[in-house]
Amino acid sequence: MISASLRGKLWKWSGVIGLLSGLFIFIGLFLGLVVAPPDYYQGEVFRIMYVHVPFAKASLLSYITLFLGSCFYLWKKDFIVDNLCHAAAGIGVFFTSVALITGSIWAKPTWNTWWTWDPRLVSFAILLLILIGYLMLRTFVDDKRKEATYAAVLAIIGFVDLPIVYFSVEWWRTLHQPMSISTRGVSIAPGMLTPLIFMMIGTSLLVSYMLLIRTQMLYLRHLLEAKQGGLLSEESS
Amino acid sequence: MPFFDVIKWILWKDMLSEIRSRESISSLFFFALNVILIFSFSFSVGQDVMLALMPGLIWVAFGFTSILGLGKSFLSEVHNDCIAYLQIAPVPKGAIYLGKLAGNILLMMVVEIILYPLFMIFFNMDILAKIPSLLIISFLATVGLSALGTLFSILTVQLRAREVMFPLLLLPLSVPVFIGAVEATQGALSGDPYSSYRHWIELLFIFDMIITIVSFWMFEYILDY
Repeated sequence: MISASLRGKLWKWSGVIGLLSGLFIFIGLFLGLVVAPPDYYQGEVFRIMYVHVPFAKASLLSYITLFLGSCFYLWKKDFIVDNLCHAAAGIGVFFTSVALITGSIWAKPTWNTWWTWDPRLVSFAILLLILIGYLMLRTFVDDKRKEATYAAVLAIIGFVDLPIVYFSVEWWRTLHQPMSISTRGVSIAPGMLTPLIFMMIGTSLLVSYMLLIRTQMLYLRHLLEAKQGGLLSEESS
Repeated sequence: MPFFDVIKWILWKDMLSEIRSRESISSLFFFALNVILIFSFSFSVGQDVMLALMPGLIWVAFGFTSILGLGKSFLSEVHNDCIAYLQIAPVPKGAIYLGKLAGNILLMMVVEIILYPLFMIFFNMDILAKIPSLLIISFLATVGLSALGTLFSILTVQLRAREVMFPLLLLPLSVPVFIGAVEATQGALSGDPYSSYRHWIELLFIFDMIITIVSFWMFEYILDY
C-alpha cells in the first residue's frame, strides 16, 4: 500500500508538475515553431516533428507505466496502483492517437502516402488497439477485483506481444516492400534538437501530471463507490 | 493431484463432452465451410491469381473459425458454476490452462485437417505432396492462436459483451501468428525449399513458447483473483 503521506505529497505537487510541463511545452513550441530554421529537405513541414516525436515517446511512457503498474498490482493487489494503470491506459490512448494522426499528416508530404506498413506504424496501431481493448474490457467487467486482475493480465500479455509484432512486421516488410523509406539514422542539427528536448521533457511531465490527476480522480471514485456500497474497509485509512 | 494428471483429466473431460455432444466440431466445420463458400464468390479471378491468394484465404478462414471455437472454450465451465469449482480445486492452476489449451489445439487441428481437403477440392489445389509441411505450419499457428484464445476466453467468458470483446482482444495480438502462418503456407504451397521459409516457422515457434509461458503464469492470477 502506498502510504497516505506520500500520496498527499504527490497530489500536492501535481500542480507544480503541471505548471512545469506547460512551461517546457511553451518554450519547446516557441523554439520549434518560431526560432528553429526550416529544414533543408522538408521545409516547414518538419516542424510537426516537435509534436509527433514527443507524443510517440509519451505514449510509450504511459504504456510502460501501465505494464509496471499491472505487474505491481498482481503482486501486491493495491487498488491505487490499479487506478494508476487505468489512468495510464486512458492517457496512452490519447497520446497514441495523436502520435498516429500527426505521423500520418507528416507522412503525406514527406513520403507521399498517409500510411505505410512500417513496423513502427503497425506496432503503434496495435498498441492503440490493445489500449482500447483494455479500456473496453474494464467497462464490461462488473466486479472490481476481477476487473483489476483481468485488465492487468491483458496489459502484461500485450506488452510481451508488442515486440514480437514489431519484429514480425519488420521481417514481413523486408520481404514484400523495398525499404525505400529509411527512418533510421537520421541525424539532426543542434538548433533543431534543443526544442525537441524541451518538448520531450514537457510531454513527459505532462504525462506525469495527467497520471496524477486522473489517478486521484479514479481513486476518489473508487472510495466513493466503496462507501456507497457500505464496503469501506482498509482502503479509507 | 500431480501436474500432468490435471492436464490429462481436463483434456479427457473436454474431449468426452465434445464426443458426446459434437457441438463445437460440427458448428466450427459448417462455419468454416460457409466462409469458404463466401470466399469463392467474393473473388472471381482466374486460377493462378486464386492460388496466389490461397495462403491468405486459408488463414482468414481458420482465424474466423478459431474466434468462434476458442471464444467459448470456457463457456461450458460457466454453466453450473464449474469455474468456481476449478478455482477451489487443490490443483496447480496453470495445469488447468494447459489442459484447456490442449483440448482447444486438438479441436482446432481436427477442424483444420477436415478443411484442407475441402480447400483442395473447391479451389483445385494440388497439396498432396505438401501435407507434412502444411501440418507443421498449421500446428504451430494453432498453438499460438489457442494459447492467446484460451487466455482471452476466460477473461471474456463471463462478460455481457463476450462475442464482441473476444475478437477485439484476440485479433490485434495474434498479428504475428497470421503473418508467420500466411508466409510459411505461401512458401510451402509454392513448393519452395524448406530453408526459404524456415524463419517464419521459427517465428511461430518463438511466439508459441513466449505466449504459452506468459499465459500459463498469468492464469494463476485469473483464477485466483
